[in-house]
Amino acid sequence: MAENTTQTSGAPKDENTLGIFSAKAAAAAVNAQTSSRTMWGDAWKRLKRNKLAVIGIIWIGIVIVVALTADLWVPGTLGNPTETDSATMAQNSRLAPSPDHPFGTDTLGRDVLCRVIYGSRISLAVGVLATAISTMLGLIMGALAAYYGGIWDTIIMRLADIFLAFPYTLFVIAMLAVIGPGIQNVFIAIGILGWPSIARVFRSAILTVKENDYVDAARAMGASDARIIARHIFPNSVAVIVVYATMNIGSAILTEAALSFLGMGVQAPNPSWGIMIQDGATYLATQPWLMIMPGLAILTTVLAFTLLGDGLRDALDVKMKDA
Amino acid sequence: MGKYIIKRVLQFIPVFLGVTLILFSLENIVPGDPIRLIAGDKKLDPVTENNLRASFHLIETNDDGTIKYDENGNTIETPMWERYFLYVGGLLHGDLGVSYQKSGQSVSSILADKYPYTVRLAIVAIIMEAVLGIGAGIVSALKRYSFWDIFVTFLSALFVSMPAFWLGMLLQLFFGVFLKDATGGAFYLPISGAGGPYAEFQDWMYYILPAFTLAAISMAYTARIMRSQLLEVMNQDYIRTAKAKGLSRKDVVIHHALKNALIPVVTYIGMDFGGLLAGAILTETVFNWPGVGYETYRAITQRDWPLVLGSVTVIVVVVMVINLVVDVSYAFLDPRIRFGAPKNER
Amino acid sequence: MEDRFGGVSRRGFIKGGVAAAALAGLAGCGKNNSGSATSGGSSSDAGASTGGVLKYYINDPVAIDPYNTQESEGTQVAKCLFDSLTKYNYDTKELEPAAAESWESNDDATQWTFHIRKDCKFHNGDTVKAEDFKRAFERICDPTMKTPSDVAYHLDPVKGAKEMQAGEADEISGVTCPDDNTLVFELTTPMSEWPLVCAHQALVPVPKAARDDPDSFLVAPIGNGPFQMDGTWVSGQYINVKKFDGYYGTPAKLDAVNFSIQKDPDTAFKEFQAGNIDFCSVPSGRLGEVEQQYGTSDDGYTVTPKKQVLTGAEAATYWLICEMGDENLGKKEVRQALSLAINRQNICDTLFEGSRKPATSCFPPLIDDSPDSTWEYCDYNPDKAKEILDSAGYTADADGKRNLTVKLSYNSGGGHEDIMSIIQGDFEAIGVTVQQNSQEWATYLTALDGGGFQLARMGWIADYPNMDNFLYPNFYSTSSNNYGKYSNPEFDKLVEEARKVTDEDERKSEYREACKLLGEDMPVIPIMFYAHDHIGSERIQSLYYDPAGIAHLGEASVQA
Repeated sequence: MAENTTQTSGAPKDENTLGIFSAKAAAAAVNAQTSSRTMWGDAWKRLKRNKLAVIGIIWIGIVIVVALTADLWVPGTLGNPTETDSATMAQNSRLAPSPDHPFGTDTLGRDVLCRVIYGSRISLAVGVLATAISTMLGLIMGALAAYYGGIWDTIIMRLADIFLAFPYTLFVIAMLAVIGPGIQNVFIAIGILGWPSIARVFRSAILTVKENDYVDAARAMGASDARIIARHIFPNSVAVIVVYATMNIGSAILTEAALSFLGMGVQAPNPSWGIMIQDGATYLATQPWLMIMPGLAILTTVLAFTLLGDGLRDALDVKMKDA
Repeated sequence: MGKYIIKRVLQFIPVFLGVTLILFSLENIVPGDPIRLIAGDKKLDPVTENNLRASFHLIETNDDGTIKYDENGNTIETPMWERYFLYVGGLLHGDLGVSYQKSGQSVSSILADKYPYTVRLAIVAIIMEAVLGIGAGIVSALKRYSFWDIFVTFLSALFVSMPAFWLGMLLQLFFGVFLKDATGGAFYLPISGAGGPYAEFQDWMYYILPAFTLAAISMAYTARIMRSQLLEVMNQDYIRTAKAKGLSRKDVVIHHALKNALIPVVTYIGMDFGGLLAGAILTETVFNWPGVGYETYRAITQRDWPLVLGSVTVIVVVVMVINLVVDVSYAFLDPRIRFGAPKNER
Repeated sequence: MEDRFGGVSRRGFIKGGVAAAALAGLAGCGKNNSGSATSGGSSSDAGASTGGVLKYYINDPVAIDPYNTQESEGTQVAKCLFDSLTKYNYDTKELEPAAAESWESNDDATQWTFHIRKDCKFHNGDTVKAEDFKRAFERICDPTMKTPSDVAYHLDPVKGAKEMQAGEADEISGVTCPDDNTLVFELTTPMSEWPLVCAHQALVPVPKAARDDPDSFLVAPIGNGPFQMDGTWVSGQYINVKKFDGYYGTPAKLDAVNFSIQKDPDTAFKEFQAGNIDFCSVPSGRLGEVEQQYGTSDDGYTVTPKKQVLTGAEAATYWLICEMGDENLGKKEVRQALSLAINRQNICDTLFEGSRKPATSCFPPLIDDSPDSTWEYCDYNPDKAKEILDSAGYTADADGKRNLTVKLSYNSGGGHEDIMSIIQGDFEAIGVTVQQNSQEWATYLTALDGGGFQLARMGWIADYPNMDNFLYPNFYSTSSNNYGKYSNPEFDKLVEEARKVTDEDERKSEYREACKLLGEDMPVIPIMFYAHDHIGSERIQSLYYDPAGIAHLGEASVQA
């Protein structure tokens, strides 16, 4: 037992990540990928058979298309998400859903569907960018720790312990207090604080791969460290990273919503799903659509990423502790 | 094993120092002067302000307690490292300092008020998580591909994908408002607070909705882990052997499969307790729960750094200890670990 | 002076209402104790019912120990537990005796003598003596308290108070007790309104126990008011007080008050609807609907059955501070034009269902309702605004856009987002580009001190219900709360002159003169006047909630 403590598993559950990865999982993933091309082909076949995952992909596709094309058709039909008109505001305030306003209107007379659509841009941006940041950071830190070992490993892993020891939500809030509110800062904060989990996974994966003969062979042939990591180690860990990143997008969206709900997200009048829920909470009993509609938008989008992540995990045969 | 525990405990020290140091430096890097905040939008007069700063050791004082001034008649800021050592010194004596924003109240007395609520809520949540999560996972695994399996799978995906505060609000709407209207006030649940002498309900009823909200996500994970573990174990050779020996399915499941499948689940639940303690901010906000999560969030927005330091340090220590206990008991429970797994795999 | 948008709400936890408290304590101290207590006289049967428990919503207070009561939550509780020397009656606009039965001053109002009632007792049975007041005042000025008080400025006019605060003296030399029932103040400057200051909720007597066991006193203060603590303050949950039988005045009709601590008005209102709270504020946007359901109070300040919603005016103004040093906002024309562009009626109608009133000046009507104080540029006239901008050189291009960008700064939460988004729409309608800049309260305050905010939202609730308190602290060139750095020697001179005038009418007209000058300069753009948005349950027979936002629970009654 005492020999097996190079990795501490003593991290608290991280609200942000959808699962706790173990070295075992990483190793399993790596072992599953001896032949990379057929693996991806097989995975795609398996993924296509998974109905829930396909639904997830379709929904994500719809959300992305709507978010990207919103400027082309939304202003003409539903109006502008941030514009208000003080002359007609009182009559248009908090109207119930109707053909004109399928999701009703908010207090300032703005169309809720229109704001939900534009809100998708914020949520997708936060989800993707925050995940990109945390994945990059995690890969770098994990690679440094595993490949160079020794003091690097100790420092980075203790740092990861420190980061994981903090209650996640509080840490993000404190981070935002430091760098100020606003959309860029939201994904920076979520992104920066997400690195330790992926770093641990990647580190374990490298440690396993490092022992393999082909790495020794590559080293013997004089390949540089960076080249070994990039050409041999990274491709063999891609599956885990892909699954992790997919699921992380969903949780980043949830974190953004929570921050907005606590009043620390994007700036008004920009629509964000979390802010819309927060605004609608007051009218829960009388105009529930104000809070339910953006909540459903979050639910369906995050659910789509969860289903896709599940599907990818099964298809790529990545084992994780949580399922 | 003893060596392992000592090693883990020694690892606490850098983590603990790192956490307190990061928290301590927050005071210097987060914008917003807490003493300025005490007065709100009306400014304090300089004498009052200096008295307040001196009382929190933010500026240096003479031995008799009077404020120290430099040759220009300005106050002297206490260096951060000096305050840090002062703080850690106090910490070792159990002194967590005085709240900036709660006039004269010591941090330890505030935390002593708040922690029991959060701990009790987390305990109820963990029980819900274990009972409902494990139960659903077992049903799901044993009746694979049945309606119940799909139902549990889908519901767990749903819980994982929902903002917890949104779920909380929906529960409030349904159990507090709709149900009351629908039953003419005969049956509904309390939606806010934790009871008390003039409360309408018995105290335990106040736990139902917030505990469920807090547990929802973990419950979903527990169900998923339980399901996959049980499925995996059922495929193992020794289960097949047991089946082949002619044991009934019931016997196999209860005496062999379940026992082994439960180990990772229990580990997950154990580790999750720390997460529930720390993760209750949103639930506590929605349900007006007088716990430590919301208090800490509030303290950050108020720049009440002694309170932030105190509560987060306590959370971190509790979480580290729980994780150690879980890890150690895991090692005891799982024979595969005791007899040594391949290097780096654990 | 902290704003109160839709109740204390999310701002409550950032320690709002510091000054709400100050006013509350100072001015809102006590309806008279006689039978027909409620204004509007709608409680003729109130005397018939006694007993019962009232459940009252508050946010978690900063302090209920009077040495540091400040915001409305702590003041509300302290008001039940403590009586000060005098109290202010909002109906008659006069000062009334409380713990002191009478008072007089020397000729130049530098020495004030208060005669304390002999039958006034603390909850622990001790008789209230003059030294108990002195002790209390010295706790306020004592720099060695665990956390020193931050409301000591109320005692600034007293001789020796500042010295004690600075650690140079062990007592306040200007407060003396010739005998048990006589309390004498020596002031450093003449102050004819000193007895009004003495109505403040911090300036109450405390027994010896406050010094002997300060930690207990902090969470369970012992006072001389109509109610006494029942247990201790359970932070985040409740504070319970019960009727004090030894009270010198008219005994409370209620048996007890349960202050139910809620995090925000939304939660409190949910509890109200569930029947768990008797009095709370109505979340913004719900007022019209609850008025239909519960009925509106006749006078706006008193809850009676079927007339349960309070919409009475408050002496407070919501405004945008203009940064005078800014390149664009430094120009008077820009400020005037922006003010004319705002559709204030729309804000009041859409967000407050008409309960709050569009601002017409910096003075709310409770402070001064003279037409002389009305500001010309508080009208809604976008066409005129465009004209002014045109002639000031900010001409519009083909799309109607002007070369003018303003930043709207405000603290996040509390519903300010909606107001600012409406104002943004109004500004954009005259071609001005707007950038919103919301910050956390803590950061926002620092930003206010530092400048660079351009337009900053702030609410002003006066410490004292008079005109001077709106003008001097905000606009006098050297005042610390003059965030926009407005400086006009002519205005300064007018205010200085007015302060010296003893004749009330003459003084008022001088202040109006100064106000008119402001109306031309527009160092702030007033948006609206605050109003109550509170509701009581049907159980309440009578409850008076004064314009300062303090409920007079000593006279309240519920159906037992």
